[in-house]
Amino acid sequence: MRKYLNVFKISFAQEFAYRLNFIMWRVRNVLQILVLFFLWTTVFSDQGRVIFGYDKAKILTYVFGVLIVRALVFSARAVDVAGEISKGDLTILLLKPINYFRYWLTRDFSSKVLNLGFAVVEIAILFPLLKPAIFLQTNGYSLLGFAISLTIAVLLFFTILMATNFVTFWAPQVGWGAQFFVIVVMSDFLAGSLFPLDILPAVVQKVLLFTPFPYLIFFPIQVYLGKLTGMAMWSGIAISLFWLAVLSILTNKIWRRGLLVYRAEGR
Amino acid sequence: MKTAIKYFKVWWMMSRNSFMQMFAQRFGAIFLLIGKVLRFIFYLSFIYFLLKGTETLAGYNINQTIFFFLTFSLVDVVSQFFFREVYRFRPMIVTGSFDLVLAKPISPLFRSLMGGADILDLITIPPLIIAVYLIGSSLHPSGVETVYFLLLFVNGLLIATAFHIAVISLGIITLEIDHTVMIYRDLTSLGRFPVDIYREPLRGFLTFLVPVGIMMTLPAKALMGLVNLQAVVLSFTLSFVLIFLSLKFWNFALTKYSSASS
Repeated sequence: MRKYLNVFKISFAQEFAYRLNFIMWRVRNVLQILVLFFLWTTVFSDQGRVIFGYDKAKILTYVFGVLIVRALVFSARAVDVAGEISKGDLTILLLKPINYFRYWLTRDFSSKVLNLGFAVVEIAILFPLLKPAIFLQTNGYSLLGFAISLTIAVLLFFTILMATNFVTFWAPQVGWGAQFFVIVVMSDFLAGSLFPLDILPAVVQKVLLFTPFPYLIFFPIQVYLGKLTGMAMWSGIAISLFWLAVLSILTNKIWRRGLLVYRAEGR
Repeated sequence: MKTAIKYFKVWWMMSRNSFMQMFAQRFGAIFLLIGKVLRFIFYLSFIYFLLKGTETLAGYNINQTIFFFLTFSLVDVVSQFFFREVYRFRPMIVTGSFDLVLAKPISPLFRSLMGGADILDLITIPPLIIAVYLIGSSLHPSGVETVYFLLLFVNGLLIATAFHIAVISLGIITLEIDHTVMIYRDLTSLGRFPVDIYREPLRGFLTFLVPVGIMMTLPAKALMGLVNLQAVVLSFTLSFVLIFLSLKFWNFALTKYSSASS
């Protein structure tokens, strides 16, 4: 446990080594949120309007919820795993008495803590400027469901990211393309970062809800907003747990097979 | 004319080399291409389903809103196609290999800005042009409105050129390019939707300071008959001023190049 605490501390300190890099990433997040905020404010310019089951307060809560949930779920140092494998740097970690998955999960947590801190500060700045109408959830049951679904989302994203990175065991040049495809495009859009998925036709929604992506962003925020309660909430949590189990087993298998073909090129 | 042909030949050769490099990493490139196309489709679907529910956005109907998005995409993709080399400029400055560019009998600005077109964008440009044509036709523009659209589209590219020149110039001075380019791209991405949706002072900022509105929104508005000749002339004046200033900045930046590490 102590060694992972040290990994956490070192990784946290490393984030400050590339301050500009980090600040730019946060600026980009804020810009994305601004687009969504103004877009939805325009759509809901009529105060009493209700579209796709959202009123103005709920949709703007969704937008700011995305800022927080993205900071927690999508911020990850494990994006470097693909480069580590293709350059042969993986060898260094394999020689250390440390669990590879726990190592990267710990580093991810350090990144998440920092990103969450910044997201809170950004919201504290944006709130007085934009004065959005916000829905505050007070129901303990929904808040508990939100906390559980968010925890699953963090672990789910970690497994998706690791599985994507492990492609580089077989195709070292494909790492960046696979990450762009799975992480930047699929995860971001199908998770509901750009828009709440319930604006899509019912059939598309049903299909999407059987994939792991909506459980990264969309589902936790829906639970927070109280749009999913009771059986709907618990069955969603069960599906996301199912995906977490499946992807964890799959990622482990890919990792073991990957190690068999790993040749430490570049070392 | 002779100079233009020479530069075209150089550009063709550099673009061919760039294609070879891309081909060496073809599987990664295929993922990237599929990702780009999917991202475009997702955005388009979002706008379509949103407008199905709301009917209008800031007073624009579904076809008009889609047209704003398509115009943004076209300006963005065409400028990416031509100026991809900007993303590879930093290593040249950091390693000092920019010396080799300065020593060659071609403009270093041309080499730094257009030293390798992005072949992936070449694949996405034709379908995008067809989509712009089809959706644009459904808005029933007059001949003059179409000419204004084309002129303002070119004007958008001129402004994009000025920004890219400014970015690499800043790169020579500060050694920082990647983030500046991404911030530029994030700012221009605000032009996915008509700038009318943004509140003041952001709208003013996007119209005059970082003229995303003039680059992306104005051409689309021209096709809808919402722009007069005066606005077209003013837009070109602005882009020429920006090009002039960026060239001045480039010349200044060159004097600060230290040739470090070479």
